[in-house]
Amino acid sequence: MEDHDALMILINNLASDFLFIDGKEIDVPTAGKFLNTLDGLIKEADSQKMPQLKGVANGLSFLLEKIVLNGVEDKEAGFDALEKGITLMQEIGESIKNTGSYEGDIDTLAESIATLTGEQLLKDTAEVPREEPQPPEMAEMADASLVRDFIVEGLEYIDEIEVNILNLEQDTENKEYINIIFRPFHSIKGVASFLNLDQIRELAHSLETLLDRARNDELQVTPGLIDVILDGADVLKAMIIQLRDDLEGNPAQPLEVDLPALRKRIQGIEEGRTDIQGIKKVGEILVEDGTVTEEALEEGLKIAGEAVPPKRIGEALIAEGKATPKQVSQALRKQANQTADTSAVRVDVRKLDDLIDMVGELVIAQSIIRQNQIVQSNGDSQLAKSIVQLSSITSEIQKTSTSLRMIPIKQTFQRMSRLVRDLSKATGKSIGIVMEGEDTEIDRNMVDEIYNPLVHMIRNAVDHGIGTPEERIKQGKPERGTIQLSAYHRGGNIVIEISDDGKGLDKDRILKKALENGVVDGSHTLSDQDIYRLIFHPGLSTAKEITDVSGRGVGMDVVKQSVEKLRGKIEIDSVPGEGSTFITRFPLTMAIINGMIVRVGNEKYIIPTVSIRQLLRPEQKLCNMVAGKGETINVMGNLMPLVRLYDLLHIQPEHEHPWEAVTVVIEGENGAKCVLVDEIIGEEEVVIKSLGEGLKGIRGVSGGAIMGDGSVGLIMDPEGLFELSEM
Amino acid sequence: MSVDKNMRILVVDDFATMRKVIKNLLKQSGYNNIVEAEDGAEALKVLKSVKVEFVISDWNMPNMNGLEFLEAVRADPELSGLSFLMVTAEALQENVVLAVKAGVSDYIVKPFTAEILNEKIEKILKKS
Repeated sequence: MEDHDALMILINNLASDFLFIDGKEIDVPTAGKFLNTLDGLIKEADSQKMPQLKGVANGLSFLLEKIVLNGVEDKEAGFDALEKGITLMQEIGESIKNTGSYEGDIDTLAESIATLTGEQLLKDTAEVPREEPQPPEMAEMADASLVRDFIVEGLEYIDEIEVNILNLEQDTENKEYINIIFRPFHSIKGVASFLNLDQIRELAHSLETLLDRARNDELQVTPGLIDVILDGADVLKAMIIQLRDDLEGNPAQPLEVDLPALRKRIQGIEEGRTDIQGIKKVGEILVEDGTVTEEALEEGLKIAGEAVPPKRIGEALIAEGKATPKQVSQALRKQANQTADTSAVRVDVRKLDDLIDMVGELVIAQSIIRQNQIVQSNGDSQLAKSIVQLSSITSEIQKTSTSLRMIPIKQTFQRMSRLVRDLSKATGKSIGIVMEGEDTEIDRNMVDEIYNPLVHMIRNAVDHGIGTPEERIKQGKPERGTIQLSAYHRGGNIVIEISDDGKGLDKDRILKKALENGVVDGSHTLSDQDIYRLIFHPGLSTAKEITDVSGRGVGMDVVKQSVEKLRGKIEIDSVPGEGSTFITRFPLTMAIINGMIVRVGNEKYIIPTVSIRQLLRPEQKLCNMVAGKGETINVMGNLMPLVRLYDLLHIQPEHEHPWEAVTVVIEGENGAKCVLVDEIIGEEEVVIKSLGEGLKGIRGVSGGAIMGDGSVGLIMDPEGLFELSEM
Repeated sequence: MSVDKNMRILVVDDFATMRKVIKNLLKQSGYNNIVEAEDGAEALKVLKSVKVEFVISDWNMPNMNGLEFLEAVRADPELSGLSFLMVTAEALQENVVLAVKAGVSDYIVKPFTAEILNEKIEKILKKS
């Protein structure tokens, strides 16, 4: 009974709240309160098995929603029905409390609600009527500057759609991606409706509806849907550009779009038709090519159908002498090309990663066989030939499988362009962005990794590189600054350049600061490059010059670190007064590393090739003990500390003297050091393997790799090694 | 009771042009004290830093959408009584019920005229 009392309290509260309503109109906040109470009532009535009460509460809730949505014409009657409903609920409650049941009539109320709302009450989640939008007074609204803003922002939004649809294509289940694409269409539609741009509004609306339905799982994200969205976005773009031409008084280009066809496609997708354009039959292709006549084709089809066992049309035509095997095979190839566009397969990225991993293993296994002693000493030329073939196939497989995970860098660049726009707004500078090589491909897994360093460099370019419009005009430069992003492949790396046409680096200031902070001691003459490189030094952090833009306190040292963490490299080119270019090189993939295999005693280690500056065997007279600095080697005039790898790793070396062993000059954060090893075995691409949880975080070692001969080598981490050597 | 045209109105929409549209409509009705925000999260920051009397917010925004923003406003004891007008599109009317339950003061469907907007504002302020 206690539960029942709670229910009665809910109903009575509703009734007393209702008494306080002024006039016969319910405002939105009150309706909200009522709706929430009704929700509670429905739940309670359901759990206490009171179907009549639940039914009435449901009906009232439905009626209220309709009233709020202006779906009830006769407001007064709606109000009366609500009042009746609440009284009815009180009756039902009382009756059940006293007699255990209610025998009265609830249908009258249900009917009046149905009449008021024009819909059957039984439906739990009824469709909400679409309100006809009232056209606003356009004379006031269609202000040219608004239209101009709309054009600029609208075009940007469409670019965004294009970028994000790629994400959706890779992960069709991800609702967030649908949302991201939905939003720009939605915004475009909203503004277009105010500006009376009916064509744009209508198209944006229908595309938005598609996405909305996909979001609600009413439609599947198929390649067809993605194509229609992309094509729709193209058309929207064309419409907006047309609008721009119109506004600028340029002769408006006629819209070369088959709008009705697009509408039809959108409709088709909405109705759930997988409307992939029919693939032409071989026969049709042969007729089109003029190889056979239509009559001959029909005859051929008849013969092919009647033959036992049934023949294919191509076979039949050949048998009849109507077409040559060559013509048929050409037609077949044409048919295959037709399907090529639609035969893309979506694959889970994890599966791809697994595949690439396994291919890595395959490469190793193949190389173990090749280097096997018995195989090597075997004189069988057939075996040798097969092994060569095996390695070439394996390397093809490796190349192809790696390329599966490659995506264009476009997306990253587009994000940058948005960033530049935002930053230029924030700093009051006028900056344009130029992109080059957006189609350059990069491992999908690298994309997120390179994002942060690129952002920092862009921030830097905007903040320190490009001056204010006034400054630029004074220097005789165009008011609008430019940042150029370019990408290209070079030697197994992707190179990304960020150039600005700003002030360029101030050599003197950097040097002065470096001297002040003791980063350099002034004893050497430094090349321009050396000076530029100083900005990556942590001691030269530009933290003092915090601004709104790069005010997050990120210095170039952090950028360098994050680039190097990805086994990348960064260089600077700068011309005072003309601008700077930051050139970053990243490996195309993080799964494979180019390593120099070195031997110390009986152990093999891998040193990442990117960090090696040079290899040398110094003369004895160049090796010194310097007080306070330990052992050093004079490398072309620079004294570099010597690190004896065997000491750090506690191994018995073959050679102890640098002039007998080999010295590897390795670049580190704070200058280069000479690392002593016994022998350089060679350079090899190795597949990186994690060492597992237990061995994670060992200083000086960044991972392991299985090498060509099947032995395991540790991949050295130069920074960690240097730290070890300084302990 | 007449509405104070100098009250500060916060317009929240991720589409800058849309904010401008709404601003122009507000100005036509004589409201000149307008602040803007790009999404719910930014709007909350604005509400924390200046006194705002009236909020006009879009529904569909990145980061924090209109509903989440409304819920955050209603959950904040200092802001809970704020007048909140939600802007929706016809395709999203099913969301209106959600907003109503979350305590929206009223909603308005795109597109709308300066008069309709002003009526809504006056109606909301009269009640509160």
